[in-house]
Amino acid sequence: MSAGSFLLLIAGGVATGTIGAMLGLGGGVFLTPFLVLVFNLPMHQAIATSILAVIATSSAGAAMNVERQIVNLRLGMTMEVATVIGAIFGGLTANVLSGDILSKIFAVLLLSVSFMMIWRMRHSRGISTPVEAGAFPASFTDEASGEVISYSVARVPWVMVISLIAGNISGLLGVGGGIFKVPAMNMISGIPLKAAAATSNFMIGVTAAASAFIYFAHGHLNPLIASPAALGVLLGSFLGVRINRRIKGAYLTWIFAAVLFLISVKMFWR
Amino acid sequence: MESVATRHIVERWIGRTLRIGVWGSATLMALGLALAWSSPGTLRLPSENPHPADVFHSLLSGSLDPVMVMFAGLLCLMLTPFLRVLTAAAGFAAEKDRTFVIVALVVFAMLLGELVFSLQ
Repeated sequence: MSAGSFLLLIAGGVATGTIGAMLGLGGGVFLTPFLVLVFNLPMHQAIATSILAVIATSSAGAAMNVERQIVNLRLGMTMEVATVIGAIFGGLTANVLSGDILSKIFAVLLLSVSFMMIWRMRHSRGISTPVEAGAFPASFTDEASGEVISYSVARVPWVMVISLIAGNISGLLGVGGGIFKVPAMNMISGIPLKAAAATSNFMIGVTAAASAFIYFAHGHLNPLIASPAALGVLLGSFLGVRINRRIKGAYLTWIFAAVLFLISVKMFWR
Repeated sequence: MESVATRHIVERWIGRTLRIGVWGSATLMALGLALAWSSPGTLRLPSENPHPADVFHSLLSGSLDPVMVMFAGLLCLMLTPFLRVLTAAAGFAAEKDRTFVIVALVVFAMLLGELVFSLQ
């Protein structure tokens, strides 16, 4: 690999990690198209690399969130039962599908994500009305207001079903699945957005690990691609958290939803 | 109060485990890349991904093969979530919450099963 390609790979990882952290997404949604469209990497290798990136960003973010006591560990671990099952089946399925088919499925996913980003921005409830007598009671201190927010979780079976689907998508396409899990936890189960995002971030690393060894065993992990990409995404996710505090979220969401829409068209027609 | 204090300790364990996993794997990947950069002519990419046991054996024997060091970093990263779940299970045990010890161990068993099945 040339020095230029190596630097481009790290820069791409940093960019995707930064954008992902700013938008509350894992790196996979941006990293996979970057690797396929810029480096012409086979789809399975790009997905395997993205899975590593998701584990990296999840582990880094979860370390902070767990210590800040925002993560609902019991809910997250329960949802993992469904997500891991979905991810294992997703990983097994991906390795019998061709790269072309995966590319088209990924394009459809990007289209869904771009619409979900706009919909989430318009409809999410930052601090929802607390659900009483739900499951998994928990509380956290909202750093912005200093207020202690107590909540419990409603409609757990629905969240488990969505976890299963999100896990399947994660294993199939190398994304974290948080774009589906966070709105489900927030809007269906009444979990405050910060707790939902933190719990999802804790989960997506475990979900990605559930299919990681399947891709590894099929020989799709190229260390010369995966190592710089994962390091870049890790650095980017730290940067993204810091930049995020200074930039208006809605503005960014519109721009990147549009970017994802264009990338989905490119992925579909390549 | 004791339960709250225990929970805080558990959350610190989990956070620490995650940081060790991330930084350990990042260090290995960066070292592997630095070694590859310094000796590009000797770089040999295997045709298949090596078995994890071979990777760690290579590392423990003192070999600084850049590709093996990078694979070690990637494998550490992939195993960090396993450790995350196990630490959570230990934490639930410390809080004497048997139900969630079982839930966490079920998740760990599924992850382990996927790993063993994949590497056969």
